[in-house]
Amino acid sequence: MNQIKKTVKLLRRSPYQALAAALAMSLTFFVSSIFIILIIGGQIVLNYIEQRPEVIVFFADEANQTEIDDLTSKVRSTGLTKEIKFVSKEEALAIYRERNKDDPLLLESVTADFLPRSIDISVNRASDIKQITELAQGSEHVDKVITPENLVEQLVKWTKTIRLGGLVFVSTLLSISFLIIIMVIGMRIAIRREEVSIMSLVGATKWYIARPFFIEGSLYGILGASVSVLLIYVLLLFYSPQIQNFLGDIRVFPINPLFFLYLWAAEALTAALIGIIGAAIALYRYLKIK
Amino acid sequence: MLEFIAVSKQFPDGQVALDDINLKIEGSDFVFITGPSGAGKSTLLKLITKELVPTSGQVMFNEDDIAKIPANKLHILRRRVGTVFQDFKLLLNRTVFENVALSLEVLKRSDSEIEKEVSEALEKVGILEKADYFPAQLSGGEVQRTAIARAIVSNPEVLLADEPTGDLDTKTAEQVVELLEKINKEGTTVLMATHNSTIVNKFKKRVVHLKKGKIEKDQKEGKYEPD
Repeated sequence: MNQIKKTVKLLRRSPYQALAAALAMSLTFFVSSIFIILIIGGQIVLNYIEQRPEVIVFFADEANQTEIDDLTSKVRSTGLTKEIKFVSKEEALAIYRERNKDDPLLLESVTADFLPRSIDISVNRASDIKQITELAQGSEHVDKVITPENLVEQLVKWTKTIRLGGLVFVSTLLSISFLIIIMVIGMRIAIRREEVSIMSLVGATKWYIARPFFIEGSLYGILGASVSVLLIYVLLLFYSPQIQNFLGDIRVFPINPLFFLYLWAAEALTAALIGIIGAAIALYRYLKIK
Repeated sequence: MLEFIAVSKQFPDGQVALDDINLKIEGSDFVFITGPSGAGKSTLLKLITKELVPTSGQVMFNEDDIAKIPANKLHILRRRVGTVFQDFKLLLNRTVFENVALSLEVLKRSDSEIEKEVSEALEKVGILEKADYFPAQLSGGEVQRTAIARAIVSNPEVLLADEPTGDLDTKTAEQVVELLEKINKEGTTVLMATHNSTIVNKFKKRVVHLKKGKIEKDQKEGKYEPD
């Protein structure tokens, strides 16, 4: 505790360098947090879509129940499906009525005969949609196949792009932060060269001399990660209605506070490690104790 | 306690600072190391703290060859040897108290121990009332006393003083040496490098005179007559 107090006192003596290092860390981890949340959010949306009936196969009116059952069996035998649900004309009408209950005009003009029978197929993996769709489209009794395949493909593509972009962007920012830490600690060592030399001559161990620099490096990291997580928390809190509105049925709010705690712990640990390694390199490079 | 056995020191530029030095210093000795500038006085002291290592020969501290003390054990030696540097080496942004406390902080003493021992050291050197002053606010003699207080506060076995009276007037210089004499009488071995003949001749201590890196004379109650 005493050492931390001393380190804070030293930081206050040249606050601009400390500010530069802490800001660089904050920016890095703020951007990292955004990417982490985008990746997790993308995964939640993907999971949501993957858990929904992915493929809806509408049958032609002339198809009889045996033919429908045959196709259902064929689809099931692929082993790619999680669940297959038959929707009769009456059930289709019930769904239609539920969806349009606020529009009596639409309800009046539609009867069960107008609506096709269908099967809602939930698949195990988004990548299996294509095969199921081709199988259904190959049947002469099928009128139309509706699939969110394109949406999933797009989502998978976006998630991959976000991951890759995030990796490149965050790695670049991490490298910059790392170099700034080395530079700032290097400057600190240069400023305190005389003090370091005197401490060594009056019998300080190398660890005693180096410790404040390690504490300083890790403090920059922890401070940067804390600022970043706090900022993300406030932003998510502020924009949660808009985000929820955009996502529609996909429920992501309220976010469990433990998520922020874990995010902070992971980022603070990573940031502290970067600070410590940066300080170690600066010490190795610049601290020459006779 | 301290022994130089055939010690030579040559710098990378070829300059020979010490040449075949053989010297034995017993515990509680007070020794003036005299000689003109460049005679090797500071080099001799720096070999004791391992700021420098000899090119050949051995510098023994009790049973230990100083040059062979590994870097991770060097602090143990330096805690046993207090040094008053020629350029004082005081931190200008720290008060007198904080400068002296540095020697105890590195020993991880508690705040209360530091408070007590620093106050005692400052009282011993006669500048307790200046504890909260910064070095820039002190006179030359007071700066020197601060440096001495820092060197003795951890009760070292040996005290090295490199030209501690260099920039002082005669009266203040005598007070500083009287202080070193007092410390020596309390059991600390004192080695003082100087070219101040007035001081050396007044205090009548052992004098080891260096010239061009060699010991020219070693007298028990010696005198120093500059060339």
